[in-house]
Amino acid sequence: MISGVLLLLVLPLAMAGIVYILLRWLSSLAALLSVGTALGLGLAVITLPLDQPVQAWGGRQIAMGEAVTVFGRELVFEQSDRMAMAFLFFTSAILFLLAWRFAPQTLLFPMGLGLLSLLCGTLLIRPLIYAALFLEMAAALSVFALQAEGRSPTRGGLRYLTFTTLAMPGILVTHWLLERYAVTPDEAELLTSASILLAISFALLLGAAPFHTWVTAVAGDSLPLAGTFVLSVGNGAVWFLLFDFLETYPWLSSHPVFDFLIPGVGLAMVVVGALLAAAQHRIGSLIGYAALVDSGAALIALGMNNKLGVALVFLSLAVRPVGLILLAAGLSGLRARSGGDDDVDALYGLGWKAPWSTVALIAGALSMAGLPISAGFIWRWALCRALAPSSLGTALFLLVAGVSVMVGVWRSLSSLLRRPRSPEDRSVVSLAPSEGWLTALVVIVAIAASVGVGLFPQVIAPLADQLAGTYTFFLR
Amino acid sequence: MPTLLDLVKSVSFLAAMPAVAGLLITAGILVVSRDWRLNVIALTVQYFFVVLLLTRQIHLEVAAVKGLVGWLICMVFYMTERRADALERPAEAEKVSPVQRWRRWAMSARASFSLLAVILITVAAYTAALRIPLPETEVPRDITLACYILAGLGLLLIGISESPMQVGLGLLTFLSGFDLFYVAIEPSLAVAGLLGGVSFLIALAAAYLRTVQAAAAAGEGEA
Repeated sequence: MISGVLLLLVLPLAMAGIVYILLRWLSSLAALLSVGTALGLGLAVITLPLDQPVQAWGGRQIAMGEAVTVFGRELVFEQSDRMAMAFLFFTSAILFLLAWRFAPQTLLFPMGLGLLSLLCGTLLIRPLIYAALFLEMAAALSVFALQAEGRSPTRGGLRYLTFTTLAMPGILVTHWLLERYAVTPDEAELLTSASILLAISFALLLGAAPFHTWVTAVAGDSLPLAGTFVLSVGNGAVWFLLFDFLETYPWLSSHPVFDFLIPGVGLAMVVVGALLAAAQHRIGSLIGYAALVDSGAALIALGMNNKLGVALVFLSLAVRPVGLILLAAGLSGLRARSGGDDDVDALYGLGWKAPWSTVALIAGALSMAGLPISAGFIWRWALCRALAPSSLGTALFLLVAGVSVMVGVWRSLSSLLRRPRSPEDRSVVSLAPSEGWLTALVVIVAIAASVGVGLFPQVIAPLADQLAGTYTFFLR
Repeated sequence: MPTLLDLVKSVSFLAAMPAVAGLLITAGILVVSRDWRLNVIALTVQYFFVVLLLTRQIHLEVAAVKGLVGWLICMVFYMTERRADALERPAEAEKVSPVQRWRRWAMSARASFSLLAVILITVAAYTAALRIPLPETEVPRDITLACYILAGLGLLLIGISESPMQVGLGLLTFLSGFDLFYVAIEPSLAVAGLLGGVSFLIALAAAYLRTVQAAAAAGEGEA
């Protein structure tokens, strides 16, 4: 019998090796294998039963729910992990699909699969604190994917690695503090210390203000789709880990500081992101600040401390990758035609040469700004409506933040869509765009998915609600 | 032939304040120096002192494995810097001897600032060891001081550096400080192995970025 848990950890790693070998000669096959692996594993985690083994090849059986012990640490796949794992795998599959057209022959494919294995380990290992070690390894591995070949080292990878390293001790030491508290329950300061350590660690991992510098650095100067992998898949794993912590240690969410700390930090992120997004001259940095606003909004939702808030966080996690992936794909296409520069001035007239990249950029920006007919709208609007009766100011801040992101995008668009002119002052627009029909098709499908989610939120909203129902930490 | 135990016993007299002083000096060198050869040697010696202190808290064999991982990291850094040096050398417009370079460095404002910062962090670490001691049942006072010094100087190095190698050295120094504390409270093999893996991956990531940096510099030089 094969343990499903081991399969989730080993298969992506094995495929990462194969993909790495294939990448040099058969990059399309490598990309499609990555898509297939992520998609297959995603389907496996949501369809295979946990309580009974299923028949696989050669009479072998796969037991998804069977726990595995490695060096005394247990790896368990529980019902509540299903959606989280499915999120990781499906988001990665979409990312790999876009990367096939916009960032072929990059290390994103093998490293992304390796990261998937480590992030699965993060969610499956018990006790939870050891997840910090897996996260740290994932951060170190992601440096290889974030670095574009032939370019100077990115600050993003290093900063991400640094902040994750600084976050790790806090989570590890928490376990020891809790063990001491179990022996001496009268020492309440142990719980306070553990709460402070966990709060700081998760603030570092989520890029909460003032620890947000890695978010903008990762988005600004890394390989765009790899940056998106970190900001959506990696960040998603951290969110799910945070929920597991809140669920496992109920005293954490019931701590009096929790009531104002979480929404306060979230609001700070929204304000910082909104103020700086509109002032950005580079699209990469703009994406970083847009992601910051989105994460801040998610923290505000979590701060509501009820089922609706948790459901909105899950909804945000589900739709954020749509916007980020489209933005990153668009940015990749534009950077490829501007010599790697994404400054507004360097993008002059590129919208006519790379129309599909430009369209992807616009669609992604709409979603990240939370504007109507986009995936991002469904949760931002719901959050604003939920906040309006009790906290109208916060709701208004969120709306203004969305507009601020669009102002930043508008500045880029004004340069992108300016028609190049000949010395005779005639418009010279190439009639044959340099992007192939396959790229156009992939972009159209991704945009259709974004618009589809925006128009029919009832498809995924119940899933978020259902997932929120599996957590009980806010019921106090 | 002497066994590992004999070798460690012969230097066990160092495994207290002398080791802490050694850690202060080596970590201080990492912060102040920009010469990769000196940095690699300092890191190698730093791991030696870390292993010496670890032998007081965990089994000798586990400490030795941690030391081996550390020295393997030093080897990775050495080979990376050798390669980067070879790549960058043709791009250097100005040829200066190592002695001249050192003189310039010693006179620079950055060196003075780094030295001053090292002294400040050391004082802060000493104060922290006195005021916020780690639980003495698990971590002796001198090891507490070593933890604070390594963590503090590691953070300083991360904060003042942009170069991938320097940041990598800072991260590893910070982790060594944390490791000295954490092995006392969680001496399990799984954690020791995972922490070793983390350190090694950090070193690989830093080395990769350093190679890319050197290759990009060489490319610019050719252009």
